[in-house]
Amino acid sequence: MRIALAGNPNSGKTSLFNKLTGLRQKTGNFPGVTVEKKSGILHLPDKQHIELIDLPGAYSLYPSSEDERIVLNVLINPEDENYPDAVIYVADITNLEKHLLLLTQIKDLGFPTLLALNMSDLAEKKEVQVEERKLSDFLGLPILSISGKTGENLENLKKEVGKLTGIETVGQPFYKFNEIEKTVSSNVQSIFGIKNPYRAKLFAHHHEKLPFLTAREKEKAAEIVKKEGFNDLRLQITETMQRFEQFVPTLRSAVSQKNNQSSFTDSVDAFLTHRIFAPIIFFVIMFFVFQAIYAWAAYPMDWIEGGFAAIGDFTRNSLPSGWFTDLLTNGILAGLGGILVFVPQIAILFLLISILEEVGYMARAVFIFDKLMQQFGLNGRSVVALVSAGACAIPAIMSTRTIGNWRERLITIMVTPFISCSARIPVYAVLIGFVVPADTIGVFNLQGLAFMGLYLLGILAALFSAFIFKLILKTGEKSYLMMQLPSYQRPSWRNIWRNIIDKVAAFVLEAGKVIMVISIVLWFLASYGPSKAMAVAESSAISTAKAQSLDDTATADLIAARKIEASYAGHLGKSIEPAIKPLGFDWKIGIALITSFAAREVFVGTMATIYSIGSSENENTIRDKLAAARDPVTGAKVYSAATSLSLLIFYVFAMQCMSTLAVVKRETGSWKWALIQFVYMSGLAYLGSFITYKLMS
Amino acid sequence: MKSLLTAIKVGSIGKIAHFKDDLIAGKLMTMGILPGSMVKVIRKAPFKGGLYLKIDGYNIALREQEAANIVLSMSA
Repeated sequence: MRIALAGNPNSGKTSLFNKLTGLRQKTGNFPGVTVEKKSGILHLPDKQHIELIDLPGAYSLYPSSEDERIVLNVLINPEDENYPDAVIYVADITNLEKHLLLLTQIKDLGFPTLLALNMSDLAEKKEVQVEERKLSDFLGLPILSISGKTGENLENLKKEVGKLTGIETVGQPFYKFNEIEKTVSSNVQSIFGIKNPYRAKLFAHHHEKLPFLTAREKEKAAEIVKKEGFNDLRLQITETMQRFEQFVPTLRSAVSQKNNQSSFTDSVDAFLTHRIFAPIIFFVIMFFVFQAIYAWAAYPMDWIEGGFAAIGDFTRNSLPSGWFTDLLTNGILAGLGGILVFVPQIAILFLLISILEEVGYMARAVFIFDKLMQQFGLNGRSVVALVSAGACAIPAIMSTRTIGNWRERLITIMVTPFISCSARIPVYAVLIGFVVPADTIGVFNLQGLAFMGLYLLGILAALFSAFIFKLILKTGEKSYLMMQLPSYQRPSWRNIWRNIIDKVAAFVLEAGKVIMVISIVLWFLASYGPSKAMAVAESSAISTAKAQSLDDTATADLIAARKIEASYAGHLGKSIEPAIKPLGFDWKIGIALITSFAAREVFVGTMATIYSIGSSENENTIRDKLAAARDPVTGAKVYSAATSLSLLIFYVFAMQCMSTLAVVKRETGSWKWALIQFVYMSGLAYLGSFITYKLMS
Repeated sequence: MKSLLTAIKVGSIGKIAHFKDDLIAGKLMTMGILPGSMVKVIRKAPFKGGLYLKIDGYNIALREQEAANIVLSMSA
C-alpha cells in the first residue's frame, strides 16, 4: 500500500515525513523531471508496512510550477508509479483558511484522505482552537492535530492511517459542476473510461500538458473541449471561488484564533527586507556563508587529502610495483580522494543554506533579488548559488534545486561555474606573478588588484552569459514570484541533517561514478604511451641523470618528466599544440590543460611533473622553474606576460572540472546541458585567451 | 473609489474588488487571494522590485506585473 503526503508549501509536510520515516527513506527523482522525490517506509502499529511518498508542496491542482505539476500528474493518473491508495493531507493549523483548497480537490478525486493539522511553533503559543468534530463532519474525513516537530499524536496518526485503506470517500463533492462541465466530464469519462467526474474535468482542463496521454488521446480530449465551448480559465476561477465559499464559513465557525499576525516576523522583516539595508544584510550573511565554506572546510579537506596521500604511499610502498598498484594509487585512490574532498564544502554549504531555508530567510532573499536577477533570466534564489560558487561550483549547482522555474534554474546552473572557485586560486597564484609585478600603488597591492580583476571577470562572464541564455532559451512555463513569506521559526535540526545527508549522498553516489571513470581515464592517459616510446624515455632519462650525476629524487623527477612527455597525454598535448599556439601555449601547457580537466588545481602539479620537480610541492619552486623556462628554439621566455595572462584568462572561463560536469549532468538529467556548457565555456576561454594574447604580444 | 494595487502608497489598505487578468487571477486565488481579501502594502522591494503585502493577515510577495492585475476598492 502506498500513501502520499500532500499539502501546501510551508505546511510542515517535510518535517512530518522525516519524523514518520526516520532513516528509512530514500531520495530520487520523479520520472522525467528533476524534482526531488522522497519516499520511505512507515511501520504501522498493526505490523503493516506502508510506502510513504512526500509529494512536492502545492496550492492546487492547477499548477504554476514544475513541483505543482507533479502533484497533478501523480494524482490524476492511476497508472502512475507513484499513484497513492490514500492521502495524508498536512495543513498548518494557523493558516487553515489558505491551506484547504487543495484538500477539497484531492477529496473530490475520491482518495481516502486524512487531514493532519500540523501545529507550528506559533500555534502552540497562540492558542488556536479547532473544533475538530465539527470540521471533520463538514469535510467528511478524519482529522487529527499533530506536531511534525515534537512528534505529538503521531502514534494516533499511524493508527488512523491503518484505517484509511479501502474506505471509499463519502459525501457530496465540494464542487458542483455547471452544465458545460457536466457534459464535458461525462464525455471524457465515457471515452477514457474514467469513473471519477472531477478527474475527468481535470483531464479536460489539462489534456495538452499531461505527459501520459498519447497524441491521439490529446486530440480526442481537445475535440470534446472545443465542441462544448469549455472555457478552462474561467471555469478554473469559478471552481476556486466556489470551493473557498464552501469551506470558509464553516472553517471560521470551527476555528477560533487570536490574530495570526506574527508581530515578531513583521518587525524583523522591517530590517531584513528593507529597501536599502536588505541587500547589505544579505551580502553580510552570504559573506559569512562563503567564509565558513572556505575556512571550515579547509581542515577536513586537508585531512581527506592527507589521508589519501598516506594510503597512497602505503599501497605504493607495500604492494609490488606494477600497473595494478599504479592504477590503485594514482587512478582509483586519486579518484576517490577527488570525490570525497568536496564533501566538507557540500556539507557546510547545505548546513548553512538549510538553516536559512528553515528559518524562513530564503523566501526573503528571493523577494529582495527577484527584480535584479530577472534582468538576467535568473531567479532571486540564483544569488545564493552564485555567491557560494565562489567556494565551489558543485554545492552551488546542487543548491539550485530550490528554484521552481526550470528555465531560471537551468540558466543558473549553466553560468555558475564562471564564478572563480577556490580551485582556481593555486593557478592564479602561480601565474599572476608573471603578469603583474609585486608592487604596490598607494595602499593597493597590484597582484591583489589583479586577483580581484579575475574574480570580477568571472562574475561579468556569468551575468553576460545568463543574459544570452535568457534570449535563447524559450519556455512555455511563465515565471511568477507570487509567494507567501512564511513567519520566522526555529529550524528543525532533523530536517537540516536529512538535507545534508541527501545532498552528500547524491554527490558521492551519482556524480562520484562519473568522476571515478574520468579519473581512471586521465590516469591511463598520463601513465601510458606507446610502449617503445615510454621505454626510450625512461632509459634516456636514466642515462642523462647518470651523466649529470643527479641524486635519486632528481632522477625520479626527470624520469617522470620524460615519461609524461612520452605518454598518451603527452602526445595529446603535442597534437593540440597547433590549436593552442595562437593562445601562446606550448605542448607542456597543453598536457597540463588536459590533466587539469580532472580539477583545476592539478595544473600546478602537472607543471611540476613536466618540469621534473614533481617531488616539490612548493608553489614558489614551481614559479621559479616556470620563470626560468625558455623556448628551446628562440630562447624567448615561455611564460611571458602575454602567455601568462592568456593562460589566466583561459582558467577564468574554461570548464576545467570534471566534477562540475558530472553534477550538471545529474542535476539537469542529461549529458546535453553538461556538453553545451563544456563547449561554450571552452569556446569563450579560447576566444578570451586568443584576444588577450594578440593584444599583449 | 477604485485603484490599482500598484498605484497606492506604502501603508495604504484596500479590499480586492476584482482581477484584470484571468490567468493571474487563477494563480492568485489558489493562494487564497480572493475578491474581498484585505490588502495592505507593507513595503517595496530593493532594486525597484516587487511588493511586500499583507493579505488577510498573511505576508505575500508579488511582482509589479502581478500586482498590476489587482483592482482594489479603497474605503476612504
